[in-house]
Amino acid sequence: MILDLQRFQAQEQPRWDKLESLLAQLESRPDRRLKPGEAELLQEHYAQTAADLSRVIHGALAPELRQYLERLVARAYAELYYTPPTRSELWQPRRWLRIFTAFPEAFRRQSPYFALAVLITILGSALGGLAVRYDPASVNVLLPAEYLRNPGVRVQQDEKGQNRHLDSVQIEAEFSAQLITHNIQVALLAAALGVTFGIGTALLLFENGVLLGAVAVHYTQQGFGLFVTAWLLPHGAFEIPSILIAGQAGFFLARLLLRRREDRNMRQSMREWLMLIAGLAMMLVWAGTMEAFFSQHQAPVLPYGFKVAVGASELLLLTIYLLLVGRSETGADAPTSPPTECK
Amino acid sequence: MNNFQSSRLSTIAELTIATPEGVLFRLPLAGPAPRLYAMLLDIAIVLAGINGLGYLVYLIFAKAPGFAVMTITLTEFAIGFAYGALLEGFWNGQTIGKRLFHLRVIDQSGLPLRIEQAWVRNLMRTVDALPLAYLVGGISALSSPIMQRFGDRVAGTLVVRETPLAAPAEEASSRQKYNSFTDYPVIVMSLRRAGTPELAGLIQDALRRRDDLAPYARREIYRQLVTYLQTEIAPFPDELVEILSDEQYLTNAAGVLLASQRTW
Repeated sequence: MILDLQRFQAQEQPRWDKLESLLAQLESRPDRRLKPGEAELLQEHYAQTAADLSRVIHGALAPELRQYLERLVARAYAELYYTPPTRSELWQPRRWLRIFTAFPEAFRRQSPYFALAVLITILGSALGGLAVRYDPASVNVLLPAEYLRNPGVRVQQDEKGQNRHLDSVQIEAEFSAQLITHNIQVALLAAALGVTFGIGTALLLFENGVLLGAVAVHYTQQGFGLFVTAWLLPHGAFEIPSILIAGQAGFFLARLLLRRREDRNMRQSMREWLMLIAGLAMMLVWAGTMEAFFSQHQAPVLPYGFKVAVGASELLLLTIYLLLVGRSETGADAPTSPPTECK
Repeated sequence: MNNFQSSRLSTIAELTIATPEGVLFRLPLAGPAPRLYAMLLDIAIVLAGINGLGYLVYLIFAKAPGFAVMTITLTEFAIGFAYGALLEGFWNGQTIGKRLFHLRVIDQSGLPLRIEQAWVRNLMRTVDALPLAYLVGGISALSSPIMQRFGDRVAGTLVVRETPLAAPAEEASSRQKYNSFTDYPVIVMSLRRAGTPELAGLIQDALRRRDDLAPYARREIYRQLVTYLQTEIAPFPDELVEILSDEQYLTNAAGVLLASQRTW
C-alpha cells in the first residue's frame, strides 16, 4: 500500500473523465473512424490511464477503482486497435454482387471437401438402394412417409390431379416457403455440425443418401423411373447439390477446427464458410420455388420428358456456374497453403 | 495476444487480456443466465415485430393468403438469423436484449467483433439450440473457461458483462475522522500486510449493503467477518473489540485496508 488513493484519484479523475467523454463520443459515431488528432489524444489518455491502472493494481487495495480503470482501458484499447469497415465500403452494391462470383470461387477452392460429401452421400444411396433391392420389407423402415411407400397410388393420384386443389397457386406459395426454410435449416445444420469434427455432418449426409437411394430404387423397381426422375429432378438439380455443399462447408469447418490454433486463419476461413452458406441458401430458394410450383405438376399437365429436360438443363447450368464463374483457381488459395493474414 | 487463463473469484469468470504495450486488464464474462434472459427478450421483440408485420402483409395480400403466408414464413426465417447477426455486427456487439442486460459480444482478443464473426456465431445457433432450449450451447458455455458456446468457439468471440461503472465515491470508512485501530500500529501493520484485495472488497461490500441485508443476516455476516479477522488475520486486544460493535470494527478495518496513508 504505497499509493495515496484519495490524492491519486483526485489528481487523475479529470483525465479519466476526459477519456470517458472522448470514448462516448467515438463509440456513438456510426463509422467509428478516428481523426488524426483524436487518435493522438486517445493514445495519450490510453497510455496514461493504463499506467494509472498498473499503479492501482500494484500499489493499492482498491478493487472498485481497479474495475473502473480496467473498463476504461478496455474501451480505449478497442477503439485504438480496431479498424472497422467504413460505411461506404459496406453499402457498395458492387461489393454485394461480388457474392455471385465469390461463391463458386470458394466452392472450387474447397472442392476436396465437396468430393468427400459426394462420396458419403453415394455410400448412403448405395446402402439404401441395395437394402430396398434385396429386402423389400426394409422399405417400411427406410421410407417413413406413406406417400413414398406406394408409388403406384401416388402416381395415379398425381396424374388424375387428385393432389391438386382449386386454389393451388396459393397452396404452392405456402408450400414453397416451408420447403425453403426447412431445407436451409437442414443445410445449416449440416454445415454447423462441422463442430462435431464432421461426424454429425457425415451422419446427416449419409442418412440423406440412404433415403435418396431407397426412393429411387423403390420407384424404379415398380416401373415409375420416369415419374420419379421427372418429379425429383427439377428441384433436386439444385437441392441435392446444395445439401452436398452444406456437407462441404461442414467438413471445411471440421478441418479448420482440427488445425492448431496458430495455424488457423480464422478471418479468411470464416468468410469462406459464410460464402458457401450464402451460396447454398440462394440455391435452396430456387429449389424450393421449383419444387412447389413446377415439380408437383405431373403429366398430362406437364409431360415427363419436358420436366426431365428442364431438370437436366438446370443441372448443366449449375455445373457451368460452379465450375467456370469467377476467377480461375490459383494454387495460392488452395486449402493446404499456409495461412496468410489478409489485409 | 491474450492468454486464455481465466480466474474464478466466487462465481465470476473473467478473461485477462495483455495488450501489445504490456497492459493487462480483465474482462468480466457473462454467464449463461443473463445471456438466456437477453435472448428471451430478443425473441420476444422479434416475435412482436413479425406479428406486427404479419398484419400488414395479410392486409396487402388479402386476396392471396398463400402468398401472405409465404412472405411471412420467409421473413420470419430470415429475421431469425439476421436480427442477431446484423445488430451485433453493426451495433458493436449488442442486440436490444444484450443492451438492456448490459452484455456485449466481443472478439476474444478484447477488440470489437467483426461482421463476419457476428454472422458465424448467429448461424451456429442451429447447433447450439439442439436438442431443445439451447442445451448444447449451455453445456458448451459452462464447460468452457471463457463461457463460449459452440458459435462463440468457432467465431472466436465471447460475451462480456458491462455493468455501468463510475469511479468509486468516498466511502464511510474514509469519512470517519478517528479510527481507534490506529492506537495499535503494530496490529494495523499486520492487518494491512495480510489483507488481500478480495478481503478488502468483501468487507467493503458487506458494509455497503448493510441496508439491503435483513437484520439477522447482517448481524450474522458481520459477526463471522469479525471472528475471521480476529482469529486469522490480526487480533486486536479484547478491551478494544469489546467496546466496538461488529459494524464499527469492520468500518475501522476497511479504513485501514482501503483508505489513504495520510490518515496515519
